[in-house]
Amino acid sequence: MSEHKPIILELNEVSLSYHAGGKAFDHGMHHVLKDVSINLYESETLGIIGRNGVGKTTLLRVMAGILAPTKGRVKMEPGKSASLLTLGLGFKPDLSGRDNALLSAMLQGSTQKQAISFLDDIKDFSELGDSFNEPVKNYSAGMRSRLAFTTALMTHVDVLLIDEILSVGDAHFRGKALAAMQGRITGDQTVVFVSHMADQVEKMCDRVIWLEHGKVVAEGDAKEVTSAYTQSVALASKAAIEHQA
Amino acid sequence: MPLLQYIRLIDIMARMSLRADASRFFLGYVWWILEPLLWVGVFYVVFVTIMGSREPDFLIFLATGKLMFVWFSKSVTQASNSIVGGKGLVGKINVPKTLFPMAIVQEGVYRQAAVFVTLGIILLSNGYTMTATWWYLVPLMIVNYVVILACAFLAACLVCLARDFAQLISLGMLFLLFTSGIFWDVRTLDPEKMKMVLDLNPMAFLLDAYRQIMMHNAAPDMFHLLTIGAGFGALLCIIVLFMRHRSQYLALRALTA
Repeated sequence: MSEHKPIILELNEVSLSYHAGGKAFDHGMHHVLKDVSINLYESETLGIIGRNGVGKTTLLRVMAGILAPTKGRVKMEPGKSASLLTLGLGFKPDLSGRDNALLSAMLQGSTQKQAISFLDDIKDFSELGDSFNEPVKNYSAGMRSRLAFTTALMTHVDVLLIDEILSVGDAHFRGKALAAMQGRITGDQTVVFVSHMADQVEKMCDRVIWLEHGKVVAEGDAKEVTSAYTQSVALASKAAIEHQA
Repeated sequence: MPLLQYIRLIDIMARMSLRADASRFFLGYVWWILEPLLWVGVFYVVFVTIMGSREPDFLIFLATGKLMFVWFSKSVTQASNSIVGGKGLVGKINVPKTLFPMAIVQEGVYRQAAVFVTLGIILLSNGYTMTATWWYLVPLMIVNYVVILACAFLAACLVCLARDFAQLISLGMLFLLFTSGIFWDVRTLDPEKMKMVLDLNPMAFLLDAYRQIMMHNAAPDMFHLLTIGAGFGALLCIIVLFMRHRSQYLALRALTA
């Protein structure tokens, strides 16, 4: 189905590598992405699945234009904006939740007036209450993710890149967030959803890409790719247990 | 990013940070005035009470030099860490990297306004008078601002490329503190040495110009001032171009190194 829709973001044989660390005597190169080609179609929900450290976050950063590929080409439809929704990072810890939300909205292109108009909704949905005016450094991990998720939900971007964010927070908020996400997904929001949890990806996404060691291993229907991934993870952990024994 | 949005963001980031900073202290914004006054108090104890300097102007001389130098040193030191320290935002949205040091410099401008008024009051209450010569403060402060911007942007990029520069920058500030004629008067040096210090160290020239204007009602060497302004203005343009073209590279360095 999605093949008929226009492409909003195109990655063409993208590779990314960098020198590790600040140590002058370490010649190690990190090859994070290797020849990754992905087409993202308008208003689809694309899942990216893979274990920790296979380059999922870096891939999202390349998609958002935050990092430039060492090789290959990234082509974004002109005039479209993309924002990365990630845990933990993304805040100025000394500022209050309110200030951080205002700043995020404005950095994503909202005017000051628009940004201020989002604030009440963000406060309500995130259920932060009075903590909304407290510095973010005093927040728990769950509160941070609630603020991050709500800010991204309320401020409008063309491509929403979600990095593992639905895997934390309490069950109540997670249910609410999933419902809100589903609302956006069935609308015309384009979403790239990254997770190492197969069931979440399968539930949310139309199409899934499986990433392993910076390479695309499989791409296609959500059910097929996630079940192949689950089997591979099960096999790997079985092998690890046997190796130990 | 449209220019208007950029300017508004800088102003908001600077004011938010000032508010967050003030809320950490019991005395809040009072520190803006209290800190410069305490500096003058420290100078009084050290140079008048202990070392027994009998020159009546010496305290004013120190205060002018030190309080104007702090504008430069604080802005540049804080800005040097701004991109690396802002890696939360750097890793989330593709923002212009100049935004980070720019917001810090703007914060410094607001702070320095309070310090400068305090300094003015100290001068006026000690018998100095405000004359038409003080208009020279306008071009002087503009050039001082350009110098701060260029150094702040450069420092922010260098620390982003290699964290090691942070060490060198704090050492460099200490070096400038002693070589810019804050505790001694460049004009008491023999003419050859004085020319050398003023030519090689723009900070020494700027601090001397503040004193010439505010304490002695004398106009600064405008050609020298404009030369400094043009030189640092050119440096600033080069760094801004670099930061615009290598925005993603700076992000990679901030996130990975």
